[in-house]
Order: sequence, then C-alpha cells, then structure tokens
Amino acid sequence: MTRMPLRSWLEERLPLADVVATLRHKRVPHHRYSVWYYFGGVTLFLFGIQVGTGALLLLYYRPSAAEAYESVQFIVTRVPFGWLVRSIHAWSANLMVASGFAHLFSVLFLHAYRRPRELTWMSGVVLLFLTLAFGFTGYLLPWNDVSFFATRVGTDIAATVPFIGRGIVRFLRGGDDVSGATLTRLFGFHVAILPSIATALVGFHLFLVQRHGMSLPPSVERQAAGDPAAMRSIPFLPHFLLRDLFAWTAMLAVLAGLATAFPTELGTKADPFAPAPAGIRPEWYFLWAFEVLKHVPANVAGLNGELVAVAAIAAGAAGALLLPFFAGQTARARRGVVWAGLAAFVFMCVMTGLALMAAAP
Amino acid sequence: MRRRHCAAAVLFACLAADAQAQSAGVSAADAFRNDVHAAAGLTCAACHPSGGPGTYQAPPRTAIAPLCATCHGDAAYMRRFDPQVRVDQHLQYQTSAHGRRMAMGDDRAATCTDCHGAHGVTRVADARSPVAPLNVTTTCARCHGDPVRMAAFGHDAAPPADWAASVHAAALLKRGDTSAPTCMACHGSHGATPPGVTAVANVCAQCHVREAELFRASPKKDIFEALGQAECLACHSNHRIEPPGDAWVGVQEGAACAQCHDASGDSGKAILGIRGELDRLSAAVSEADALLTRAERAGMPIDEGRLLLQEAREHQVQSRVLVHGFAFASLAKTAAEGQTAARRAHDVGDAAMEELDVRRRGLAVATLLVLAFLAALWMKIRRLPPAADNPPA
Repeated sequence: MTRMPLRSWLEERLPLADVVATLRHKRVPHHRYSVWYYFGGVTLFLFGIQVGTGALLLLYYRPSAAEAYESVQFIVTRVPFGWLVRSIHAWSANLMVASGFAHLFSVLFLHAYRRPRELTWMSGVVLLFLTLAFGFTGYLLPWNDVSFFATRVGTDIAATVPFIGRGIVRFLRGGDDVSGATLTRLFGFHVAILPSIATALVGFHLFLVQRHGMSLPPSVERQAAGDPAAMRSIPFLPHFLLRDLFAWTAMLAVLAGLATAFPTELGTKADPFAPAPAGIRPEWYFLWAFEVLKHVPANVAGLNGELVAVAAIAAGAAGALLLPFFAGQTARARRGVVWAGLAAFVFMCVMTGLALMAAAP
Repeated sequence: MRRRHCAAAVLFACLAADAQAQSAGVSAADAFRNDVHAAAGLTCAACHPSGGPGTYQAPPRTAIAPLCATCHGDAAYMRRFDPQVRVDQHLQYQTSAHGRRMAMGDDRAATCTDCHGAHGVTRVADARSPVAPLNVTTTCARCHGDPVRMAAFGHDAAPPADWAASVHAAALLKRGDTSAPTCMACHGSHGATPPGVTAVANVCAQCHVREAELFRASPKKDIFEALGQAECLACHSNHRIEPPGDAWVGVQEGAACAQCHDASGDSGKAILGIRGELDRLSAAVSEADALLTRAERAGMPIDEGRLLLQEAREHQVQSRVLVHGFAFASLAKTAAEGQTAARRAHDVGDAAMEELDVRRRGLAVATLLVLAFLAALWMKIRRLPPAADNPPA
C-alpha cells in the first residue's frame, strides 16, 4: 500500500474542500451589534461541555435512591479529577442557562425573530425551555436533601393545573411523592430523552441559521439600504470562526476558574422522612417564578392564586414562543416588543433579587 | 361503689339542668363533653352527689382523691378500659407531701383535679393535658411559682423559674425532647416529694447512669456522706442546672472544685492535671474543627476527617464524664485517645488544604496557558488579511 498524506486520503473520501470553500465563501455581517452573535455559539459550546462531562459522570453515577448520593460522593472524592468534572458540569449548566437567556434577549432586542426566521426563533425558545428542563431534571440526581425537597416543591406546582394536575405530578414523580422512582425517571429524562430532542433541535436550529444567515438589526438594515457600500461583512472562515473560538476559550477559562474556586457542594444525603430543611429553594434561574408563587395571594378574583400565577407564567412562555406571529413589523410595534422584553427582563431580575435577599442570612 | 353508668338521656338531662342552673356549670358541662370519663360513659352523678332535682354538689377537696380512687384504685374495674393501666396513684398520693397535708385536713394542698383538671380531663399522653410533658411544669408552677401561696407553706417559689433556665428546660422546650426531665422526673408525680440528700444521686442516676457509677466508686462518695452533702447538687445545683463546662474543673474563683480545694497539695495538682487534659483535648478538637470547616467551605471532601472529629468529640464527652470518678489516670488515657483522633482529623484537614493548593496551582498554570492561547488567537485575528467587504446576501 502506497503511503499518502492523510489530507489527500480524507479528501478523496469526504467533500472537505467543498465544505471549506463554502465556509470561506459564507459571510457574516460585521457591525456595532455583532458581539451579540457570539452568544449562540457560546451556548452551543457549553452544551458540548455538558455532553462531554455528563458522559464522564455517567461512568460512575448510579441512578437509584440507595446509591446516587454515594456514587456522586465517590466521584468527587475518589475518582481522579472527578471533583473537577462534576464541578464543571454543574457550573457549565448555570452558564449555559445564563448564555441562553442572553442569546434570547439579544435576538429579541435586535428583532432577529422577524420573517423569515420565525422557526429559528421558535426552535431557539424551545431549546431554552429544554435547557431549563435539563436543569430541573439534573438537580435531583445527587439525591441530597436540598434537591430532594426542592424537587418535591417544584413538582407540586404542576398539581395546580386543573383536571390533569395530579396526573402530571404522578407522571413526573413516578408515584405520589418524590422517591427513588422519581430519581430514576428524571435521570432517564436528563440523559436520554432531553438530549435526543435537544440534539435534533440544535441541528434544526443551526440548519436554519445557515439557511437564512445572520439577521441584521433594523437600524443597520436602514443604514445599509441608504449606503450599501458602508455595510461591512467578514468571512465565516477564518474571521468569524476564530472570534468564536476566542469566546469559547475565554468561557473555558471562566468555567475552570469557577469550578476550581467554587466547587459544587454535595450537601447531605436526602432523607424522605426528615422534615424539610430551612432555605429550600430552586436553582437561581427558577427563583423568579418561585418568588412570584410566594407573593401571589391565595385567592385572585375567586380563583386559586397559585393557579393564576402558573397560568400567567405559562401564558408568558407561550407568548415568547409565538412572538414572531403577533409582533408587528412597524417601528412602533418593534418598540412595543423591546419594552415588553425589557419589562419581562427587569421583572425577572427584581423577583430573583427579592428571592436572594430573602434567603440571605 | 359510687361509680355509675347511665344512659345518654340521663347525661343530657344532667347537662340541661346544669345549663339552666348556673352559667359556671355551662362551661363545666361543655368541658365534660371532651372528658375522657364522658367517653367512657360516666356522667355527672358518678362524681357529684345530687343536691336535689337538677343540681349537683361539688365534693369537698379532701374527698376528691378518695373519690377518684374508687375507680382508679380498682384494677378489676380499670382493666375494662385499659388492661395495662396503673392503679396505685392514690397509694402514692398518700405518701406525697400533698397527700400527707390533705390527710391532715389541709385542703390547700394539691389534689387530683388541681393537676388533671376537673371536667375536661384528658389522657396524660394527650398533648392538651395539663400534665403532658410540655405542660406539666406550667401546671406545677401555678402553685410552686406563686410566692404568696408558697410563703404560706414556708417554701421558696423560685424552682419553676430556675428549672426554666436549666439545660433540662432547654432540651424540652427548645429541642422538643420530651424525654427531658420535668418536675415529675425527679419529684415523682402522684407521690411528689422532694428527694432527700441521700436520695438525690439516685434520682439523677436514672438518666446519668455512668456519672453516678463513677461517683459511687470514687473516694468522694464517703466524704460527701460524712459532710451531709447532697452528691450531685454540690456542683450542679438542683433546679437551675446549667450546662457544665471544663472551666468548672479548677481552683480559680468560680470553679466548682474551688468550693473545697485550692491549688496546694495533691488534690490541687490532680485538679490542675485533669483541667489540663480537658483543655488540651478541647483545643485539639477546636483546631481540627476550624481547619475542616475551612477545607469544607473551600469545597474539599473531608468526610473522613469529620468521622475522626466525631470520634474525638466522643472521647471528649467520655473524658468529661470521667471527671465524676476523680481519677486522673483513666481520664488522661481517654483524653489522650481523643487528642489522637483530633490530630488525625487535623491531618485530614491539612491534606485537604494541600490538595486545594495543588488545584489552585493547577488552575493558575491552566489559566496562564489559556490566556497565552487567547493572546495568540487575538494576534492571529488582528493579522488576518482584511475581509473584502460586501453586503451580505
């Protein structure tokens, strides 16, 4: 067999040259808001980190009430660099949610949801919901007391839904209360069902981004219409990709620093028969909803207050998902979207702040 | 026998007549509806002699205990309601300070209804009962915490307040430990009498078994007996039993030992030796705990250290118990074992902190490498050939 360079060998079998040529040909708009384009890539990078570290954790994790806590304890104390892998997994999850929200709000404020990118927006919103679902299902897996009782509180919220609420709760828990069955069930969601859906949806989202290209904000669009020569763009390869790589590397440095300086604590093993410890609260990205449920009166206009709050949050989520279909195309309508987005953002920040202040010693 | 069962109609007639007769009777009738005796089928007439149609007389206070005993002293009768129920209450009551006074005709002394209530009597196990663990000290304090009432008997009214400041009260009221001793645990309930000087150690020994064994085997027992000194009370007091501390062992002012000893002689040396061992163990436990807490807050796993520290703390408890044996050698041995466990816990903490340093150094190196890569990347981006600008498609 004659020796041939690897590149030639690959090119003979794969259309690498075509792919590289396409990427060199593909151009990305370059303007004063371009920095927001990178949050999508950062979120995708963190998703990759989650898949990698999650796979490593799977080598030792055991999804049963009897062994889950001990297996995580084994990972962080006995497995070489297990503490780092677990800590990176936990921190990366938090950063992924933050990056996902930053991506969503930047797309909203830059009006990138407009025709023909409605499906790109909707798949992105569903991906953010899936990210939150990853957070919720992964929270219980260490089987510590805080996660146990927070999951009990979290799943209880579904019971407020009329008619099917109790059924939803039973489906989520695998029984009437949080138990080993809940752990096994949420583990299945966390490592099989959600990743399958998310991977498919990420592929669809990226395909749409490739299909429609990066959106131009309306102000830049107007500028480009007036002076096409002033509109700048850069090639995807290498200019944009290297900048993406820069953002990913910086994120990796932040992640390593957080994981080392603030390793995720394991807490104490869950005891279903013990009273709930003080300070039970969900992850930070659910705090705003937790705070809303805390403040809503027991009775609102003759209806169960908690049900009203859950319905309002669900309506907000549905509104976010379907935004491209009812947001108008006029400048006035776009200003309305910006104000509504800002109001939602400020509301969530204030509620999260209140919850954190209430939890502060 | 005066016990009487009657039909429900009779009970309703009693209650109705009572309601018409007097307003005070209405509350008694209401209370009786939830009374354990009503649930057992007894009526007003079982305890109250009739004073004419629709009226009932209260029995004289001196007659209440014998009246209750007609049922509660009859094992054959009481077995019908509870096969394991005790029936010696009246016998015990007759030996109590309350019962003896009552027998002499002094009806100011407490009788059954003063503690259990008259018309709303509930089982002792019922949390609403005035003699349930959480309520009984308040019930006793109604009389024994009243200076005017106690002055008539020449008694001090301080014990209830003293108990409320004790470790026993803290265990019961703050930690909710219903096995913590209340008035009854030391004085008895139906046979309530203050334990004498010679008996008080037996009372404390009901719970503090090991301390009592050590004390009884020590030379101090004979000395205390000769002095007429109540054993446990000499250092711990009686009602206001405060949390003991290592500082109690010593010859300085305020120390328990200093009541009888000074620094001179063999006893002074032994006291200082015991105190030294306790202090060394306490310092070792505190240092190890502080180090493990620091490591834990830094996210380091230190479970093994916590187990060792627990072992050290158990030795610390044992050492403090051994003080009651007044023997230096056995205490020093246990304290030394505790110090060894504390040192090993400290070693675990040291190892965790060293591991933390390794992690931080590793992070520093990794961060430098990442920063170097970022710098190289930035330079590469800056040196890229200018993109031929054209409007996006």
